[in-house]
Amino acid sequence: MIPFIILAVIAIAGALGVILGRQPVHSALALVGNILALAVLYLLLSAEFLAVAQVIVYAGAIMVLFLFVVTLLTAGKEEGEPPEELGGQRWWAGIFAIGVGVVLAVLAITHPGSAVNTGIPSNFGTIDGLGHLLWGPDFLYLMAVAIMLLTAAVGILVLNRPMKRPRVSRPGRRES
Amino acid sequence: MIQFILLIVKVILLLLILMGGFAYTMLAERRFLGFFQLRLGPNRVGPWGLFQPLADAVKMMLKEDLMPLQADPVVYRLAPVFSLLAALSVDAVIPFGAPIHIFGQTVSLDIANPGIGLLIAFAFSSLGIYGIVLGGWASQNKYSLLGGIRASAQMISYELAMGLSVLGVLMMAGTANLESIVLAQRAQGWFFLPQIIPFLIYFTTAIAETNRTPFDLPEAESELVAGYHTEYSGIRFAMFVMAEYINMMTVSGLAVTLFFGGWLGPSFLPPIIWFFIKMAIVIFVFIWIRATFPRFRYDKLMSFGWKVLLPVSFVYFLGTAAFVSGIL
Repeated sequence: MIPFIILAVIAIAGALGVILGRQPVHSALALVGNILALAVLYLLLSAEFLAVAQVIVYAGAIMVLFLFVVTLLTAGKEEGEPPEELGGQRWWAGIFAIGVGVVLAVLAITHPGSAVNTGIPSNFGTIDGLGHLLWGPDFLYLMAVAIMLLTAAVGILVLNRPMKRPRVSRPGRRES
Repeated sequence: MIQFILLIVKVILLLLILMGGFAYTMLAERRFLGFFQLRLGPNRVGPWGLFQPLADAVKMMLKEDLMPLQADPVVYRLAPVFSLLAALSVDAVIPFGAPIHIFGQTVSLDIANPGIGLLIAFAFSSLGIYGIVLGGWASQNKYSLLGGIRASAQMISYELAMGLSVLGVLMMAGTANLESIVLAQRAQGWFFLPQIIPFLIYFTTAIAETNRTPFDLPEAESELVAGYHTEYSGIRFAMFVMAEYINMMTVSGLAVTLFFGGWLGPSFLPPIIWFFIKMAIVIFVFIWIRATFPRFRYDKLMSFGWKVLLPVSFVYFLGTAAFVSGIL
């Protein structure tokens, strides 16, 4: 229980840091802290592969891309709030967030997962167990996710395709 | 209780080995670079310059710790610490030798031996990039920032190929536990023979991940002064350098573990000695490459990573999968 409380406090502090941070880089760092705390929480729940995947994918790749963009765009900028365009949206966001949180908590308490009664299987969370799930009963979902990711990749290629331009003959081949 | 004491002792020993290894890897690198370039290198402090690292350490600790006025103080101080922390923590899962028997206990020569050790090593090493990016950003200096941005782009690009290149080893051994991978090589032979192309890709990407020549664009001194650590001085600069050298030792240790049979070797030397001999050879190749190749150009670096290393490692990965599953 004590590790859970410590990690929960870190995770919530990180989440608050994301929305309260004035500098985008500080927000990104807070999000990294939040992600790492969640990873350790997964470890406590004996989902070791999920924990490592969380660190490699989210902390190690996605947040680095975030930081890449943020550092590129905010270098040397004066900090300052842009004028608020939608009045009162912060309040609405807060109210909805609390509402969703309450609904989730109620659902979690009234409909606990089957593992609460049956206990977790012996190979739960290991590469082995996860592999058997993904390539066995959950194969359909795996394929659905694969198609979704493929669609996204194709979409990026389509959106970023070079404009059709008349070919200009260039003297000598030079790369920028 | 004795397990706990052993753990503490192992952690302290590992830190001592890594720090001492850092100091003398650096000296070896400077001496070797000297020989490669037909000059002497540091040879004045002690016999063959053996006390040079001590002198450097004292110098680094006594130097003034400067911080630019524009810098973001928290992130600026955090960045080198993060860098060093990520570098040190990877080594916790590397088995340096066969389990030994001492005081009636069986002691494995790693801090932890989790079932997914290989993935944990990758998870920690993927965090090392933060120190560089944040250091470059927090300095609020054009050159540092460019170095940090280059580092993030480069490391993300090469991490993919690196991950794919070790998956073949993972499949052949049938486990992600580093100790089991070493033991699997006792039965199947060292993995660098069947996995020679993934090994070369791993080694190339390892040089890129540790930001060493010819992939040292984040600190390219002819273009960016010193890149992400331009503004750092004193002990914080030393932390970045330590992180770089410890990362080099770590990727060498992982290369030995994954491809060269870890601590395995003829029995006239103890296993841990074999491990360090192999590791030293890999580190020497690192230094050799540094002395030989000029720096990549940025666009060539990117196209090499994405258009050569990644497809080749992917094809070899699929081939290994087909072979291991018995289709081929």
